[in-house]
Amino acid sequence: MGKLINQITIRAFLAILIVIALGPIFWTVLGAFKELRDIVTPVPKLVFEPTIDNFVTILRNPTIRDGLMNSIIVVSVTVLIGALLGIPAAHTLARHARRWSDDVQFFVLSLRFMPPVAIAIPFIVIYLDLGLYDTLFGLVLVYLTASVSTIIWLSVPAFERVPREIEEAAAMEGCQPAEVFWRFSLPLAAPSLFGALVFTFVLIWNELLLALTLAAQNVTLPVVAASITSLGKEVPWGVINAATVLLVLPPLVFIGLLMGFLNSMVRIGPK
Amino acid sequence: MASISCSQIVKSYGAHTVIKGLNLEIPDHQFVVFLGPSGCGKSTMLRMIAGLEEVTGGVIRIGGDDVTKRPPGERGVAMVFQSYALYPHMSVADNITFGLRRQGVADDEIARRLDHVAGLLGLKDLLARRPRNLSGGQQQRVAMARAISKTPQVFLFDEPLSNLDAKLREKLRTEIRKIHLSLKTTTIFVTHDQLEAMTIADRIVLMRAGQIEQIGSPDEIFEQPATRFVADFIGTPAMNFLKAKVTVDANGPIAHAGGIALRLSPRLFAPLADGSEIDIGLRPSRMALCPVNAENALEGRVVLIENMGSEGQIITEVKGQEVSFVTKEFRNLKAGAKVHFTIRPEHIHVFDPKTGASLRTQEQSQ
Repeated sequence: MGKLINQITIRAFLAILIVIALGPIFWTVLGAFKELRDIVTPVPKLVFEPTIDNFVTILRNPTIRDGLMNSIIVVSVTVLIGALLGIPAAHTLARHARRWSDDVQFFVLSLRFMPPVAIAIPFIVIYLDLGLYDTLFGLVLVYLTASVSTIIWLSVPAFERVPREIEEAAAMEGCQPAEVFWRFSLPLAAPSLFGALVFTFVLIWNELLLALTLAAQNVTLPVVAASITSLGKEVPWGVINAATVLLVLPPLVFIGLLMGFLNSMVRIGPK
Repeated sequence: MASISCSQIVKSYGAHTVIKGLNLEIPDHQFVVFLGPSGCGKSTMLRMIAGLEEVTGGVIRIGGDDVTKRPPGERGVAMVFQSYALYPHMSVADNITFGLRRQGVADDEIARRLDHVAGLLGLKDLLARRPRNLSGGQQQRVAMARAISKTPQVFLFDEPLSNLDAKLREKLRTEIRKIHLSLKTTTIFVTHDQLEAMTIADRIVLMRAGQIEQIGSPDEIFEQPATRFVADFIGTPAMNFLKAKVTVDANGPIAHAGGIALRLSPRLFAPLADGSEIDIGLRPSRMALCPVNAENALEGRVVLIENMGSEGQIITEVKGQEVSFVTKEFRNLKAGAKVHFTIRPEHIHVFDPKTGASLRTQEQSQ
């Protein structure tokens, strides 16, 4: 009997936690499908006539549409290049760099110490001079400093966890270092590397400050979403909710795609 | 198959030298065990032969070719690791055949070899499985199959049985020995387990602190240890060591250790001078119960009896010194009882107390 009460208490507690965690998200998604008058009622409405007007408004709005596209391009390219540069660098640091590995890793981490505000203003000046201001390339470039360092920092332990003997066994079978990396270290570290990529993806997807300062027209979705809130007294809650849903959706989709890709890579191995 | 030759091998990590000018010749077909306590450099030596560790100085030849600078894949060697080192993302069959596929060996030849090694090691039902779904013993069998399928010139085993339980270790040890008898591939096997080394080796290379202490057949290592270190390292229960002083009479040398007097073999230790200080080594398994008046009889008081099943180790106190011996008749003995036991003069080992070297004259005695 005591056991049963215990169980019920635990479950009730978990249920409360879930409500606290998912409640606002659920409410936002719900709000995205409501008309404004259903949102601003004094008594919250759970039953209402759903509408996709908010999404239509957003997708018809060129600013938001461009912001979404810009975000997808900038973040994908940044993470891709970051992975191409950072993952091999991390493997080298974990396995081949003997003397300076710790120092290099600390330097890489130290790139993340400085608050973005501190670099934003110098970057404006430099970018204006180089003609990179308000370009997607400029954003990718500045985000790369963040993504490469984050990916390296998170990938080094992933490679260190790959048993050294497995790499040695592969070398004994005649694999060159590059082949050992590609066929063994990478697939075996993939689940952890995937975590590093997702973390980096989310980090940059949500970045607001640098995008706000280094771009004027070619802005990313967080900048656009932030600007909607300051449209005036008549706050378009439905539109904001819909924008939020859109903002959250791509990371989820990318995570799903990446997960499938990496899983298959782990499964296949060489031919 | 090939011979292995190491000359003047040096290995240093920075200022720290772990292998100090090691020379070793391993003839074709031989099963050699590198034995020694942890940190003696035996694994480092093996890894240098494998090509996984750079050689600081010296030359390694396999089958007459200088392979010192060659990458591991081009030395014609295959290695079995302590941790098995199977590829977790491949099936057992893929693990075994990966190297062959990589070399572009023909498919039917791969299939033939896979079938052969799978049969040899009893893996036929496991070929589709993943390594993580296998027991430790099965994983090590797969690792061995992977090594054998490559038909290398040399097999290298780096403590392959250390992660297995005692029973399985014994079984696999026998299997490895059997496989060597049929394949006759030159093999180096690293272990810190002296029993494993004794049972499996043609020849044991006993190492200590980066140097070879003694090279010899298991019998030579056991019966004629070159140093006190070897004598102490080999054999269970461990050898008794006593400090002694020599007197010489008409019948040859006698060692006096405290109140104990033991006659030494005049044939083996002829040059011992009267009054010289020595260490004597008495192997427990070479001693036996005896009548009071037998030659070299020791009288001791039983302190402790350790039952080892078919025999027992008797730890006794003999004139203030602890001496243990092994006997099958231990069940008749009681702690506190008086007991007489003896050792034949030719079974007593004598070492220089300063250098630890055996003082046995360099003849091939039986």
